[in-house]
Amino acid sequence: MEKGYLSFILHAHLPFVRHPEYTEFLEEDWFFEAITETYIPLINVFDKLIEDGVDFRITMSLTPPLISMLTDTLLQSRYIRYVEKRIELAEKEIGRTKHQSEFNRLAQMYHGYFTNARYIFVEKYRRNLVAAFRKFQDAGNVEVITCSATHGYFPLMNNNVNAMRAQIHVAMNHYEKHFGRRPRGMWLSECAYEPEIDRILREAGVRFFIMETHGILFASPRPKYGVYAPIVTPSGIAAFGRDRESSKQVWSAREGYPGDFFYREFYRDVGFDLDYDYIRPYLHGDGKRSNIGIKYYRITGKTDQKEPYSPEKAMDKAAEHAGNFLFNREKQVEHLSAVMDRKPIIVAPYDAELFGHWWFEGPRWIDFLFRKIASEHKTISLITPLEYFEKYPVNQVSTPALSSWGYKGYHEYWLNESNDWIYRHLHKAAERMVELAKTYPCRDENPLQNRALNQAARELLLAQSSDWAFIMKTGAMVEYAIKRTKEHLFRFTKLYDDIRSDKIDAAWLSDIEGKDNIFSDIGYHIYQ
Amino acid sequence: MDKEILKEIFLLILEVIKAFCEMLWEKIKGFFRLLWDRFFGVADISSPERGEVQEWGDTGEDTWPVTSKESFVRTEESLPPKERKGMADTPAIPELPEDYGDNRIVLMVRDTGCLFAYWELRKEVLDNILNTLGSMAHSAKMVLRIYDVTDVIFNGNNAHTYFDIEVTGGTRSWYIHTGKPNRSFCADIGFLTPNGTFRLIARSNPVITPRAGVSEVVDEAWMSIEALYEGIGVPEGFGSSESVFERVCKGWEEIQKESVSSPEASRVLPVLKK
Repeated sequence: MEKGYLSFILHAHLPFVRHPEYTEFLEEDWFFEAITETYIPLINVFDKLIEDGVDFRITMSLTPPLISMLTDTLLQSRYIRYVEKRIELAEKEIGRTKHQSEFNRLAQMYHGYFTNARYIFVEKYRRNLVAAFRKFQDAGNVEVITCSATHGYFPLMNNNVNAMRAQIHVAMNHYEKHFGRRPRGMWLSECAYEPEIDRILREAGVRFFIMETHGILFASPRPKYGVYAPIVTPSGIAAFGRDRESSKQVWSAREGYPGDFFYREFYRDVGFDLDYDYIRPYLHGDGKRSNIGIKYYRITGKTDQKEPYSPEKAMDKAAEHAGNFLFNREKQVEHLSAVMDRKPIIVAPYDAELFGHWWFEGPRWIDFLFRKIASEHKTISLITPLEYFEKYPVNQVSTPALSSWGYKGYHEYWLNESNDWIYRHLHKAAERMVELAKTYPCRDENPLQNRALNQAARELLLAQSSDWAFIMKTGAMVEYAIKRTKEHLFRFTKLYDDIRSDKIDAAWLSDIEGKDNIFSDIGYHIYQ
Repeated sequence: MDKEILKEIFLLILEVIKAFCEMLWEKIKGFFRLLWDRFFGVADISSPERGEVQEWGDTGEDTWPVTSKESFVRTEESLPPKERKGMADTPAIPELPEDYGDNRIVLMVRDTGCLFAYWELRKEVLDNILNTLGSMAHSAKMVLRIYDVTDVIFNGNNAHTYFDIEVTGGTRSWYIHTGKPNRSFCADIGFLTPNGTFRLIARSNPVITPRAGVSEVVDEAWMSIEALYEGIGVPEGFGSSESVFERVCKGWEEIQKESVSSPEASRVLPVLKK
């Protein structure tokens, strides 16, 4: 009999990037890389676990923008083009490296890797990877939860309840459309908790969410079990807190597993390493060198003299690290269960894209971990937050503290000199959207106006994506984030003016409907 | 034998001439490339240097404001996808409205000890207020007055404390370091005269800074969430054990410092690539 539980949570998100007006677009690669390196490897791990009869539980948030991109036909066909180019390059690489056995077997590995990705994407799941996650959910192994509609950051839009409500309800409806039922949990983007959303979440039927550690620790009244049991907010939603120990082992730049010298080096990519003329056909139209996804070296150490990657050694390390992670969780559970009058739950949330994209071996690490838990270890069982409720339905009532999992634990990363200028515009747009929804309560009398109002809601939601403020702060790709923010705000403002003056530009509206085509069945009345 | 040596020497000279010509050709090419870059601004794409690829899309230029509305008229069919050329053909981004015609100040919380305020003020409002100040108008300064309004329904006079920040130079936002977690604040923007008269231009929304430590409240109420979803609240049970809590609280500052969360490390995938 287990003494405690591990709730493993992956948050999968990418901003909505889709540019039909161009034949190809560099930033769309974010999505294609994540499909190849994270989503498909995870799908493979889950499929194999189920096939082998390994019982496991994992909670995954798939955000509405990510689901929208995964189900978008244009991006699907572009992904096939992307992966086929890589298969072609891997074939060339096999030839190029035929006299270098260490690289040649890696080239063959990549050929198999991309060929498999194509097979999973095109043949096994018929271009729709969301279907895979739905299948895992229906099988009872994966609990898929949602997130605010465009990863909107609640504490920085808290002066407009309707705007927060729209972020939540649009997400809930979007999830239902794709999964055939209402979501039971919601990932708060950046784990940013704002007390105001509590009752909106309740009204939308959300049962639980995840918080940063101090959001629970600083809750009031003081939570008796800290983060090792959920608390119930005044509105009756369960809040789970992140366990910092398990985070640190995976995340920490200094001590984390992904920095092991035997793991694959992220920064040595053939897109930068190989002869320009040779690699040019696989770069974007502008010809700038960029990551291709074939990487031949291991981290090796703090040196530029990198050694060739050895998949076997890396797998041994992943297995060893999975064992180490589990050993530590076991010690934790043994310790906690001795002082708690119930079985503790250790909540370990991570960004999904860490696994596979940054940490190439991450999906296999999860595979090893889940297999070990199922076969060897009796101290710990995997559990989803809701299953924990079934076991412990009565929980302490407490008001969580405003917090986020970002830098310094609050909102600084999204509100600083690099990005604070956006909020006056975002707040104004939200205010105007509410005004429009209240001024034009009828939805069917004027189809063109109705379309313009719905598009205005889409533009506002896209502008509110926390990713833009985030990128502005990172200092890389800043122009793109600024451009997206201004573009959506500009489109919103023009729609607002056109609707108010009853001069809707039908052709222009069609154009932006084609570009910003997220949430096809949105109803602007959500802002009323 | 001699012939062989002569042949070798001859070939060697040929090699030297060839190498020299190649060098010369590279120089000429380099010179023309420089000229090309200078006049046509096309970067050397063959550079193998790895670095921050700072680039972005030039999408949607068809949607930017133009003089005649007809220019917006495009249909999907008239806009076939085109190849993206990078920064070179990036259109200017239209600036967002400078003003929305509002007269207001908005207060936001950044963290336990820092607030952010932004404002937009209408000229006629400012002029009216300055008129009422008469001769003192010229010496009046614009200030932010930050009130601690914890646990009060603020009416302008019942704050616990307040402090002023002079805001000059047409600035339209400010970071306010209160250093006070778990307190409520409200901000006025107004004119302050040397004799202490304060004239309000706009008052902000109230905000509450988050708690920076564990709660003093240790009363425990327990609730069955299932029951709640059936419409029945069942608070039950009391307890007092804090040992687990105290244990997990230890070192919470550490986690914040280390920022082990680092969602920034993997989200938006290639953003942080070297």
